[in-house]
Amino acid sequence: MDNKMRDELLNLFRSKINRAMRYYLETCTRCGVCTEACHVYNSMGQTKYIAAYRHEIVRRLYKKYFKARGKIWPGFGEAKGLSDMTLEELFDAAYSCTGCRRCMVFCPFGIDTQMLMSIAKLMLIGANAEPEILTMLADTSIEKGKSLELFKESFLTGIKNLESEVVEKWKIEAGETAIPVDVEDADLLYVALAGAHSIIPAAVVFNAAREKWTLSFFEAVNFGAFVGDPTRTKLIMDRIIAEAKRLKVKEVCICECGTAYRVMKQLSGKQPFKVSSITEVQAGYIREGRIKLDKTKFTDTITYHDPCQIARNGGVIDEPRYILDNLTDNFRDLTPEPKYNWCCGGGGGLVALGDETLDFRMKSARVKVDQVKATEAKILATACENCHTQLSNLNDHYKMDVAVRFLSSMVADALLPQ
Amino acid sequence: MQTVYYIVLVPMVYVAFAVFFLGTAIRIVKILREPKNPSTLQIFPEKQPNWLYALSDTFFFPTVRRHKPVLWVFLMTFHVALLFLIIGHVELFQEFKIFQIIPHEVFLGKGFVGLILAITLLFFLFRRFKSPTKELSVPEDYFLLILLFLIVIFGSQMDWARRWYEYGELTVEDYQVYLNSLLYLKPELPYNVTFTGHSFMLVLHVFFANLFLMFFPFSQLMHSFLALPMNKLRRG
Repeated sequence: MDNKMRDELLNLFRSKINRAMRYYLETCTRCGVCTEACHVYNSMGQTKYIAAYRHEIVRRLYKKYFKARGKIWPGFGEAKGLSDMTLEELFDAAYSCTGCRRCMVFCPFGIDTQMLMSIAKLMLIGANAEPEILTMLADTSIEKGKSLELFKESFLTGIKNLESEVVEKWKIEAGETAIPVDVEDADLLYVALAGAHSIIPAAVVFNAAREKWTLSFFEAVNFGAFVGDPTRTKLIMDRIIAEAKRLKVKEVCICECGTAYRVMKQLSGKQPFKVSSITEVQAGYIREGRIKLDKTKFTDTITYHDPCQIARNGGVIDEPRYILDNLTDNFRDLTPEPKYNWCCGGGGGLVALGDETLDFRMKSARVKVDQVKATEAKILATACENCHTQLSNLNDHYKMDVAVRFLSSMVADALLPQ
Repeated sequence: MQTVYYIVLVPMVYVAFAVFFLGTAIRIVKILREPKNPSTLQIFPEKQPNWLYALSDTFFFPTVRRHKPVLWVFLMTFHVALLFLIIGHVELFQEFKIFQIIPHEVFLGKGFVGLILAITLLFFLFRRFKSPTKELSVPEDYFLLILLFLIVIFGSQMDWARRWYEYGELTVEDYQVYLNSLLYLKPELPYNVTFTGHSFMLVLHVFFANLFLMFFPFSQLMHSFLALPMNKLRRG
């Protein structure tokens, strides 16, 4: 690695340093309390997957280049220079971490591994060593935001084709639109994923609750966040913010996508609209009596996987359980409790990388399989696209014999006529 | 040899305290001047009042209690013993009524506090010899534990000598004269401090303590000050 590249990468490192990052870089005592926190370590048993070990790969660079000590006595803290080999270590650490932040619950100081891994991810982008597909997907999202007119027609045609399926599940009044798009002054802007499964059940429930809603032109998923690029993350988020402001909506509802929800909820800043997950919105409808659910629809035992970004990192923990209480008498929660829930193993962009990471994803999430199996449930509900894909892969791989379902689609299936 | 004693017991102490106070202050100010993280770093479910839980996390380490109960017992014992020793050192300057709520001779704990501290430090050290903590550790971790152990052993030895073996040549009054002279910037080394059989113990104790203070601001020991704001971030 030449000096110019090294300086550029270290500038990227510097750009990530803020107060919290300094805390995380300065404080670790390597006490090892986080050892049993990571699902990858627990499933595969390799030391390199312990949270503190991952931290140290980033911290060694910090000690070397951002602390005088690293120059005077590098061996004292094992400070290490930046080389091509370091980049490989950074890749290994960052792209085996799903950013679930379970280790943050264990750490006596609350060190955020996801934050430290975001330094690694940004440096990998700088070195063109990140998974290219994630950057390409992020750029496609950004491009769509820039030239909406080009996509508009085909999008609207696609949506029109879905409307009959929505009406099939829930009749609407004459003159109403089953999937409204671009409605100014709507109360709620629903940001879905590309795919009918993310639009139809949600539309059915919105219509049943007589919500004044409109569908976003943009998909919720934020590939910028997966690849750890703050600029792309913001550009992708800003498309939705601009649309919400243009339509003057009161609420932006994010579909079942953990990263999209957390980014919009926690990074969008103060806005004239509130940000909710579809789980919160649907729980609200039940609470307000706007929809009623048929408890006989699902007779099998149901368990629920809390998506890390929505539950532990987003705070939506009671709402899915409230929905499930109204959906079944046969709900069995996972052990341990949501704060300690095992990650499915698919976060941090791993699922988006598809078959490339499949083998690792299967090996690294064995503890998740054991956790689900212990409930003896037949239906495994969740509220995140990534989790759903990963849990389905695990289901096939480990022959778990469960039906993996989106919670929102279960709500749609169990709607009772009012 | 008396020159070495003098250097360790007087100028080095001033240098160590200057490095400790200035270094710590500068480092904390530098950290606090960094911008805040643009988003929350909270973990859910939330418990209110979150500041109270952050205090509890900082001082009682509930996560360690849950996941490594044996380590927690040693950690709590270590930190409480450390607090007792700090009080003991403050009392070496003068008597404070507030510390005498439970009447005691200086130092608190009849010599056992130092012994307990030494045992906990050995535990912390030896657990680092075992996998996987061994793979996580860096030389700094061993160095600081060994340094602390040396400080405690030489310091406690003086306490043990007086308490357990009725060694009377180096008394609390001698320490008070020495420490107050340092405090009032009129350094004075009483004869007993430098010329008794246990003087070398004191010199070694002070020497290692000086090293420790000088390392403090530049090491993980900063967790003493950063643990609370970090736990506050986690609690929201």
